[in-house]
Amino acid sequence: MYNMISVKDLHKYFGDLEVLKGIDAEIKEQEVVCVIGPSGSGKSTFLRCLNLLEEVTYGSVTIDGEELTDRNTNINELRTKVGMVFQHFNLFPHKSVLENITLAPQKVKGLSAQEARDVALPLLDKVGLSDKADAYPQSLSGGQKQRVAIARALAMSPKVMLFDEPTSALDPELVGDVLQVMKDLAQEGMTMVVVTHEMGFAKEVGDRVIFMDEGIIQEEGDPEQIFDNPQNPRTQSFLSKIL
Amino acid sequence: MIEALMESAYIKSLPFLWEGLQVTIAITALGLLFGTIIGAMAGLGKLSKSKIIRGIWTVYVEIIRGTPILAQALFIYFGISEDLIGINLDAFTTGVIAIAINAGAYIAEIVRGAVYSIDKGQHEAGRSLGLSKRQTMRYIIWPQAFKRMIPPLGNQFVISLKDTSILSVIAVHDLVYKGKQYYNATVEVFETLVMVCLLYLCITIPLAIILRRLERKLDV
Repeated sequence: MYNMISVKDLHKYFGDLEVLKGIDAEIKEQEVVCVIGPSGSGKSTFLRCLNLLEEVTYGSVTIDGEELTDRNTNINELRTKVGMVFQHFNLFPHKSVLENITLAPQKVKGLSAQEARDVALPLLDKVGLSDKADAYPQSLSGGQKQRVAIARALAMSPKVMLFDEPTSALDPELVGDVLQVMKDLAQEGMTMVVVTHEMGFAKEVGDRVIFMDEGIIQEEGDPEQIFDNPQNPRTQSFLSKIL
Repeated sequence: MIEALMESAYIKSLPFLWEGLQVTIAITALGLLFGTIIGAMAGLGKLSKSKIIRGIWTVYVEIIRGTPILAQALFIYFGISEDLIGINLDAFTTGVIAIAINAGAYIAEIVRGAVYSIDKGQHEAGRSLGLSKRQTMRYIIWPQAFKRMIPPLGNQFVISLKDTSILSVIAVHDLVYKGKQYYNATVEVFETLVMVCLLYLCITIPLAIILRRLERKLDV
């Protein structure tokens, strides 16, 4: 199948600190890839390089055939193809749930208020929050906020969705609803890259698991292979600590 | 009794002081209008990526915040001579400029601080949706930062209003200047100064109440 994301020899420095030490990865259309690893392993940085929230020091990232790291690429336009969901939701607190979702379609894609509404309402329904359209983020639970954030990203009709530890800031009882929405999305064929500590989700929904440590991909493969029969000692040690 | 009150030194000073109050209000309003514009420019300038722009505004803010407004007013009025800039600034114009430049420096810090205080994640969320830097600033950062600016801005407005009293030394006919003139002529020093202070309070107290209401309404 078509390569939606292609990463070649990606290096990232923060000052003198090399956080990513040469990542090569290819993610196919409709594939769900879960990235796991200890904190400080560079997995979030890797994800953030995929929509250039972090500047790439060296190497190339190509999304849907367009090279992100090329200076001539219109980064704002390319970002509309890559939805991102953050650990801390980052909803706009001064805007209602509906306005959170309709802002970018109106300002970036030039949709009218009515058109943007027609995009947003089915998405809110999809994440199970139709009744919250006029609510403000502060009145929502963490799980609801994250589902709004997913709807907000989907409103730009992205080709890829990036999730940066989407359930890490949630109370345990709220995790399920968010994972269910992500699972539905995966089943609809969305290409997804998910940095997560939810090993159950990685096992059940992931097509492939990437284990990162010390700025490189240490091991990757089918979830069964990684979880049941890890080859790399680092993977073995990491999994033994968390499972 | 009412007749006695009307005849009292307190009330008799009012028509004279009223002229000064009008000047005080006019200078405050104009000074703050320009001061807010300067402050917004300087505050955003200090957040600029360009070192030069940042440097210029930082020098401005530090010079103004590090020197007394009295020295600044004297400098503008007496220090900058007519031959230097080709126009003769009258006391009123000098007053407006002094208040604008002085308030501008403090407002710059208010603007910068408020924008800076908005969580980085807000910017990232905007950019990740494809909004440009400018759009993110306009639709996401600025509205949130603006709310946070209101309490310190209100504070600065009150300070600038009171700072105008310093302009009496360059013969701006403000409330304090008029008060001095009045008690020099009538020798009713105590009564006159009580009225001067009351007139300041007539503005600052309602201003404080309005600001508190606004804060509550905006839920800051």
